[in-house]
Amino acid sequence: MARKQVKGISYAKYGYLFSIPFIVAFVIFSLYPTLYTATLGFTDCKGLGNNNWHFLSDPFENFKNVLSNNSFITSLKNTVAIWIMNFIPQITIALLLTAWFTSRSNEIKGKGFFKVVFYMPNIITAATVAILFNALFSYPVGPVNDILVSLGLRDAAYQFSVDKSASRIIVAFIQFWTWYGNTMIILISGVLGISPDIYEAAEIDGANGVQTFFKITIPNIKTVLLYNLVTSLVGGLNMYDIPKLYLNGGPDNATLTANVFIYNQAFSGSYMYNKAAAASMIMFVIISICSAILFWIMRDRDEAKIQKEIKAAKKAAKKGV
Amino acid sequence: MSVVKKDAGSRAFLISAYIFCGLLTVLSLIPFVIMIVNATRSTTQIQQHAISLIPGTNFMKNFAVLTSKTFNPWKGFINSLIISVGVTACTVYFSTMTAYAVVAYEWKLKKPFFTLIMCVLMIPATITSIGFYQFMYKIGMTNNFLAIILPAIASPPTVFFMRQYMIPSLPMEILQSARIDGAGEFRIFNQIVLPMMKPAMATQAIFAFVSSWNNLFLPSILLTKNDKYTMPIMVSLLTGDIYKTEYGAIYLGLFLTVLPLLVVYFLLSKYIIAGVALGGLKG
Amino acid sequence: MKKVLSALSALALLVSMTACGTTENGNEGETNNSSSSSSSDKKDDKGGDKEVINLWAFTDEVPGMVEKYMEMNPDFAAKYKVETTIIATTDGAYQPALDSALAAGGKDAPDMYCAEAAFVLKYTQGDAASYAAPYKDLGIDIDKEIADSKIAQYSVDLGTNPNGDVVGLGYQATGGAFIYRRSIAKDVFGSDDPKTVADAIGGGSQSWDKFFEAAEDLKAKGYGIISGDGDLWHAVENSSDKGWIVDGKLTIDSKREAFLDLSKQLKDNGYHNDTQDWQDAWFADMKGEGDKGILGFFGPAWLINYTLGDNCGGKAVGEGTYGDWGVCEPPVGFFWGGTWLMANKDSSKKEAVGKILEWITLDSSETGLQYMWANGTYGEGGTKDSVASGTVMAKSDGAIEFLGGQNMFDVFIPANDYANGKNLTQYDEKINSLWRDQVRQYTSGQKSREDAIKDFKSNVADNLDVTVD
Repeated sequence: MARKQVKGISYAKYGYLFSIPFIVAFVIFSLYPTLYTATLGFTDCKGLGNNNWHFLSDPFENFKNVLSNNSFITSLKNTVAIWIMNFIPQITIALLLTAWFTSRSNEIKGKGFFKVVFYMPNIITAATVAILFNALFSYPVGPVNDILVSLGLRDAAYQFSVDKSASRIIVAFIQFWTWYGNTMIILISGVLGISPDIYEAAEIDGANGVQTFFKITIPNIKTVLLYNLVTSLVGGLNMYDIPKLYLNGGPDNATLTANVFIYNQAFSGSYMYNKAAAASMIMFVIISICSAILFWIMRDRDEAKIQKEIKAAKKAAKKGV
Repeated sequence: MSVVKKDAGSRAFLISAYIFCGLLTVLSLIPFVIMIVNATRSTTQIQQHAISLIPGTNFMKNFAVLTSKTFNPWKGFINSLIISVGVTACTVYFSTMTAYAVVAYEWKLKKPFFTLIMCVLMIPATITSIGFYQFMYKIGMTNNFLAIILPAIASPPTVFFMRQYMIPSLPMEILQSARIDGAGEFRIFNQIVLPMMKPAMATQAIFAFVSSWNNLFLPSILLTKNDKYTMPIMVSLLTGDIYKTEYGAIYLGLFLTVLPLLVVYFLLSKYIIAGVALGGLKG
Repeated sequence: MKKVLSALSALALLVSMTACGTTENGNEGETNNSSSSSSSDKKDDKGGDKEVINLWAFTDEVPGMVEKYMEMNPDFAAKYKVETTIIATTDGAYQPALDSALAAGGKDAPDMYCAEAAFVLKYTQGDAASYAAPYKDLGIDIDKEIADSKIAQYSVDLGTNPNGDVVGLGYQATGGAFIYRRSIAKDVFGSDDPKTVADAIGGGSQSWDKFFEAAEDLKAKGYGIISGDGDLWHAVENSSDKGWIVDGKLTIDSKREAFLDLSKQLKDNGYHNDTQDWQDAWFADMKGEGDKGILGFFGPAWLINYTLGDNCGGKAVGEGTYGDWGVCEPPVGFFWGGTWLMANKDSSKKEAVGKILEWITLDSSETGLQYMWANGTYGEGGTKDSVASGTVMAKSDGAIEFLGGQNMFDVFIPANDYANGKNLTQYDEKINSLWRDQVRQYTSGQKSREDAIKDFKSNVADNLDVTVD
C-alpha cells in the first residue's frame, strides 16, 4: 500500500507536465483576450480607436442596459427557440442512425457510405450554405416556390423571407442538417469504444437489438453523449454564422440570435464594445448555468463511486500505516 | 453469434431505413452537385436561376475569370494547407495530451483545471476575437501563420471530447504493465496511448481540419498580404465587389476550396466507416 | 470544434452575396486587369531600396488603377512600390481591420485607403475622420484643381472634413437616372424618346405623383413600372432632405417615411413584380423574363455597365434586351454608390500618395484616369462610366450600343448635379437595413404602419449609439 502511494505522488508531476502546452497557449491566446473583453464590460469603452476609456461609476450599467434591451431579450428567445427546434430532431436522428449503423442484429448494407455522406453538409462553409438556401427559398420565383405552386399547394409564390416563423424554421433546419452527421459520428465513435465483450454477453443473454441499444449502448456512451449535449448547447447558444449569413438576423429580428446581437453591438456601426462585452458576459453566465445543470444530470455516478472508494482505500492505507 | 432472422418485420425495417437514408443522402449531396454545376455556368445563368442541375459550358471561362483576379489557387492551396495541417496537428496532439493528463494522472489541480477548460469552451467566441485581434496587432503577429496555428494548442472542445472518449476506454492495465517494463511516461503516451486513440483522433482531426480550412474571419484580418491569403480569403475577395459579382467564378472558387477538404475527408473517412474498435484491445 | 469555431469561420465570406438585398450602397466595380500580377511582383521585395506605399482597398479596382499609374510613370515606379491589402467590403472585415491598422500606426499602417459610399462619412467626417490627411497637405492645390476639373459637388461634400478641408475624393459620379425599356415605352407612351418618357414618369418633378399615374397606364397594358420596391428606395433615400441622424438623434425624413406608403401602393396595386434587389427574380426582369414586363430601373451609369449589361441576355443588339434600353431624367435626383480615396495624415510618403490620388481623382487631362474611365479606354473590358470630373465628362462621349446609341452622359451629367451628399450618415448601412426590413413587414401585411415605425425606432435604439425619442 505504501509503495502505491509513493508511485501516485511521483506520477502527479506528469499531470502538470502534460498540461503545460495547453496552459501556455491558453494564457497567451485566450485568457488575455477574454479578460480584456470582460474588463470592457465595466467601462465606457465605445467608439473607434478609443484608448481613453474609464471604468463606470456604476460598474453594472452596461449589464443593466443590455438586460433592458428589447432586441437582446428577443435574441435570447430566438436563440433558445431555434436551438430546441434544431437540437431535438438532431439528437433523435443521430441516435437513431447510430443505433442502425452499430446494430449487430440488423446489418444495413452500405452503412459506411451513409456514415461518410451524412457528415458532408458539415464540410461546406456556412456562407455557401446560406447562399444555397437563399436561392432555394427565393421569391417570387425559386425552386421551392415553383414546386409548391406546381403541386397546387399554393396559388401564388410565398415570400418566405418576410415570414418570421418560416425563417426560424429554415434556420433551425439548416442547423440540424449541417450538424446531425457530426453528432452521429461522435456518437458512433463512442459506441466503437465499448468493449465487444459486453455485447457478446448481452447476446448470450438473448437481448434483442432495441434492448441492447437502450440497456448497453446508451449507458456506455454517456460520457460521449454528455460531450454532445454540452457542445451542442454551447454551440447552439452561440449560434452565429447561419443566422447572420442567411437573413442577417431578420426578418423583423426573427432570426436574431444572441451572438448576432453581440456582434452587431460591437462591429456594425457604433463600436459599442462595452455593451457587447457585457452581453457576452451575460451569455457566458447563462451558458455556464445550463451546462452545469447538464453536468449534474449526466454526472458520472460510477466515477463518483470510484472516487469514494479510492478515498476509503487511502484512509484504510493511512490506518494501516 | 446469433443468426439474423429475416422475418417480415426486419424486412420492413430495412426498407424504411434505406428510404430514410436515401433521402438524407440526397440532402447531403445536392449542395455539392449544385456547386459543381454552377461552376460550369455563366454568371448570368446563375443570376437568372441560381439552382439548376443542367451543367453549362462556362467552366474554362469561369476559371479564366477566377485566375485573372486575386485568386491564385496554387498559392492559396499551399497557404491553406500549411495553416490547416498546423492547426489540425496542434489541436489533435496537444488536446490528446491534455486529456491524457486529466484522465490518467491524479494531481491536485486536476479538477479546477478541467473546470477551467469547460469554462473556456463556453465563452462566446465572437467577442474574444476583439481582444485577440488587438493583441496580435500589438505584438506584431499579423501576416504570420503562427498567429493562427499556435492558439490551436489550447482547444477546449477537443480536450473535452478526448477526455470523454478516454474515460471509459483507456486501459490502465496496459499502461501499468508498460511502466513495469520501464517505459517513460512520455514514451507511453506517444507509443501506446496515441495509437489507441486513433479513431477518436481521426474524427477530431476531420473536424479540426474542416473548420480551420473554412475559417475566414480571423485569417482575413490577420493575414493582409497577398502572398499569405488562404483559399477562402481569395474566394471572399471575388465577392467583395457586390455590384459585379462573378457568380460562376465564385462557385468554381468555392468548389476548388472544398475539393482538398473532400480529399482529406475521404482519406480519413476509413476511421468513420470502420472505426478501430478501441475496446477490442481489451478482449 | 463544434459550432463555436465555425462561428468565426464563415463570417465575412459572401455576406455580400447573401445580404446584397439589404446592402444599399457601395462602390461600383470594374473588373480590371491583373492583381495577380501584382502579387507576383511582390517577389522582388528584396530590392529593398524602394519605399513602400501601403494601400488598403476592398476590391482590386483601385489597386489596379495604382498599378496602371506605375506603368505609365516608370520614374515613380523606380522609387516606390505599393503593398496592397484587399479585404472584402462587409461589415465583418474591412472596417474593423482598417480601423485597427489606422489606430495602430507604424510602418504597416495604410498610407492610402479607400471607402465606399456606405461608410465614407465615417472616414471623412465621423469616428475615423481624424486619420485622413487634407489633400492640400499632399502637395495638391485642391481648390484650383476641383474648380478646373469641375468635380461633382456631392463628391467634394462627402469628402470634406468638419474643418472644411477636402480629405477624400472619388473618381466616378454616381448620379442616377431612370433606365427604361424602349419597346415598352413605345407601346405605352407612344414613343421611346427620353424626353417623352421623362415627361410621362414626372422626370425632375420632385414628386412621385406622375410616376404612379404612369404605373397605372403601364398596368393597363400588362406591364410593371419597376421590378421591386428596392429600386425606388435608392431614389427615395438619396433625394431626402435629412439623413437618418440629425444632431445625434434618429430622424425619419418625411420623404423616407413616405416610402412606406409608396412601397405599399406599389405592392397592393401590382405595379411591380415584387422582387428584391440583387436576387434572382430582379435579374430576370432585366432580361424581360419576369412575371410581367418591367419598364425600368433606377440607377447610375455603373448599373448599366455591370448589372443590366450582364443580365440583359445578350451581347449585341437584338439579343435579349440589349439595345432596347434608354435613360431619362428620374422624378427625383439621387446618387448611388461610389468609392472615395484618402491618405493617412501620419504617412511619411504624402507627396507620393498625393501624386497617385491626384491622377485618380483630379486629373482631367486625356492621360488622367478619369478620361480613360469615361471613354472605355482604361483597359481590357473597359466600359464607359460616368466620372466625377465635369471637365472630363464634357469632352467624353457616352454613346453606347446598349442604349440604342443614346449618349448616356446627356442624362447623367445633369443627374450628377442633383446628387447631394448632405443626407448621408455614417450609420446608413445599418439603419437602411433595419428600415427596409420593417418596410417589408408592413407591405407584406405582417404588421401595421405604426408598429413598423415603432419597431424600427426601437431596433435603432437597441443596436446603435443613437438617441431615439
